[in-house]
Amino acid sequence: MIKITWQYIPFHKDIAFLQIKQSEVEKIPFYIPFFYTHVYSAIFVLLAGFFQLNATFLKRFPAVHRNIGKFYVFVVLFLSAPSGLFIGFFANGGLYSQISFVSLSILWFYFTLKGFTAIKNKNISQHKAFMLRSFALTFSAVTLRFWKVILVYLFHPAPMDVYQIIAWLGWIPNLLIIEYYLYNQLKK
Amino acid sequence: MKNLFYLLLSIVLFSCNSKEKKDLTQKIDNTQPEEIHTDLYGSWVGDFIVLERDTTRPESEMYSNKINIVIKKITASEVLGQSVVAGNSRPLKGKVTTEGNTVHFVLNEPGDDKYDGVFDFEIKNDTLLVGTWTANNTKKEVRKRKFELYKKAFKYDPKVMLPEEGMYIDYQNPKEEQVTESESDNPEDAKEEETYMTTVYREASESIFKINSSTKKLKESDVKNLKKLDLEILRNTIFARHGLTFKTKTVRQFFDDVEWYIPVSDNVNNELTEVEKENVVLLKRFEKYAEDNYDSFGR
Repeated sequence: MIKITWQYIPFHKDIAFLQIKQSEVEKIPFYIPFFYTHVYSAIFVLLAGFFQLNATFLKRFPAVHRNIGKFYVFVVLFLSAPSGLFIGFFANGGLYSQISFVSLSILWFYFTLKGFTAIKNKNISQHKAFMLRSFALTFSAVTLRFWKVILVYLFHPAPMDVYQIIAWLGWIPNLLIIEYYLYNQLKK
Repeated sequence: MKNLFYLLLSIVLFSCNSKEKKDLTQKIDNTQPEEIHTDLYGSWVGDFIVLERDTTRPESEMYSNKINIVIKKITASEVLGQSVVAGNSRPLKGKVTTEGNTVHFVLNEPGDDKYDGVFDFEIKNDTLLVGTWTANNTKKEVRKRKFELYKKAFKYDPKVMLPEEGMYIDYQNPKEEQVTESESDNPEDAKEEETYMTTVYREASESIFKINSSTKKLKESDVKNLKKLDLEILRNTIFARHGLTFKTKTVRQFFDDVEWYIPVSDNVNNELTEVEKENVVLLKRFEKYAEDNYDSFGR
């Protein structure tokens, strides 16, 4: 993922993914700033999230957990999720993938906010549940790209057909897995 | 008296003038020998087929390429022409002899290119051109090719499309792929699963018959869902309409069999219309994106 982000440095208007988004780049005002906000901020969210999941890390460095946590929440709520919502409206693959990406960004914002307010109210179990949901959606950045490689290898579909499928396949299963895990935890 | 003088003067002047003209035409005749067989001038087009191949090494040259032999000028002492085939456009120079209804040519390519050689052919009854080509380099993989060509005039037509009955499969770039197949439908016999390698070829979609890349200004949304092969074919159809001779086998395999395609030049960039130029840029960009991203982890 760092490598994927790296190709957008230095800043270009027509590099990598933007090669096939030139009509948006030219016609939609602020497409480029929103796109780059998303690319540059989301990578830190992803990296930060990995630290937060580790239980021993939390026990040994609770203060660091709190600080990284604040950073994670701030970046998602103010940068990554709003920019994700904006570029989601112009997603490749038409209406189906647009609905997917827009709802993904709204849920991402909601889960992250709920996770934050939960810990402010000292509700640890609720905090944990919502932060796991939030990270399941963060991690869709990785899973949707994995699904793409698998689908292309197996079926050689046309590029935008792949896009419509992975738009959903990227995050729905992630969320279901987390819900199943939380459900099992609840029973214990 | 005065009038008579003017009349004489004008007669003298007039006669002088006509004399000068005669001298001029005679001069032209002296430097420019008379052109003969002008009805044979033009493009002769057909297949350029292997006659002798060095079979001790792996095959790399195509069995058949579309060739265009252009005859530009014929005089008793010299013939000038051009050979256009497989991405090469070479000037030809040689001699002609006539015997009854048959005109016999021996034309040389300049000799400073490793693919140069000698064309030896006859035109019978002004309609069929038959002959062979021999490479200068005797160590070349294909040393001899034959051809039967018909006269065809090239004309740029932006509306021509690839014929739908053609097969657009990229045989030049096969890909080995692993396939696992269960021999039995009973899932308990999973051990009988067989894994083997199979060769997969890229196949173009129907979009290559539907999209005219020369007349329509393409938008991103028109080409977004196309695979790399479709994009390549759409872009090269523009060049084919202008008669570009293609260097790569990958491209030649799609266009050499197309009836309207006549290779006339190894560079047509100055002939492209504005719409075509813009479409080439757009298609190239999408080809690059498809190459970098279609089957890899990333966007």
